[in-house]
Amino acid sequence: MLTYEVVFAAALVISAFLALHLDETIYAIISFGAALTLLSGLYFLMDAPFAAVFQLIVTVGAVAVFFLASEMLTPKKGSSQKTRDKILGLLVASALAVVPIISDLHVEVFSNSHDYSFAMALWEYRALDVIAQSIVVLTLALGIVMVLRGKGGK
Amino acid sequence: MEYIILSLILLAIGIYGLVTKRNLLKVLMSIELIAAAASMNFVVFGSMIGDQLGQVFFILALSVDTAVTSVIIALVLIAYREHRIIDVWELSKLKKS
Repeated sequence: MLTYEVVFAAALVISAFLALHLDETIYAIISFGAALTLLSGLYFLMDAPFAAVFQLIVTVGAVAVFFLASEMLTPKKGSSQKTRDKILGLLVASALAVVPIISDLHVEVFSNSHDYSFAMALWEYRALDVIAQSIVVLTLALGIVMVLRGKGGK
Repeated sequence: MEYIILSLILLAIGIYGLVTKRNLLKVLMSIELIAAAASMNFVVFGSMIGDQLGQVFFILALSVDTAVTSVIIALVLIAYREHRIIDVWELSKLKKS
C-alpha cells in the first residue's frame, strides 16, 4: 500500500542520489535540501516531532551554507553533463527507490516502553551529555574562528 | 527493519559519493548523507521502544555532525583561498610537490 511514509522514503532516496549525481551544483544543492526536508517529514511521521523540527532547522542552515559556498567556490561555466547521463542517474535512483516502495515502512513499537518525556530524557538522563556537548561545539566554533582568522591574516 | 534498510540505502549513496566525486562540496554532501543515515537509526530505535530518548540522542548526534560540517567548510574555504582548487585529487597532488 502506498502510504505517506513510502512516498517520502522513495522521494528521499531519489533526491539523495540526484544530489550527488547531478553536476550542476545549484541543482545538486536543491536536491540535497529536498532530501533532508523529506527526512524531516519521515521523522514527523515516525512520531518524533522534536527530531523533525531539529532536522528541518539544520537543513535550512546546511542549504544556506552550501549555496553560499557554491556561489563562492564554483567557477561559472555551462553544464557539461549529458542528458543521457542525467537520465541514467534518474533510472538508477528510481531503481534504488523500489526497495522502500516494496517494503511496508512502519515502526514496530515494542512493549517494554520506558515512556520518558522529551524534557525528562534530555535533562534528567542525558544532562551531562548535553553540557559536555555544548562545550565541544563551543570549542569547535572557536577553533574555526581561530583557523579562519589565522589564515586570513597571512 | 524496513527503516534500517532505508538507512543502509542512504549510507550506500553516501559512500558512492565519497568514492566517486572529486568536488569537495559533493564530498561534504556525501558525509552529510552518511551522518543522516546513521543518526536516523537513533530516531527509529527510539520510536521502537516508544520513548523520547532516541530523539535526544539524535539531537546530540546532529549537533556534533553540524559542528563537524562547519569545520570541513572552513577547511574547504582555506584550501580554496590558498590554492584556488576544490578538487580532492588536485589537493592530494599538492602533498607530493
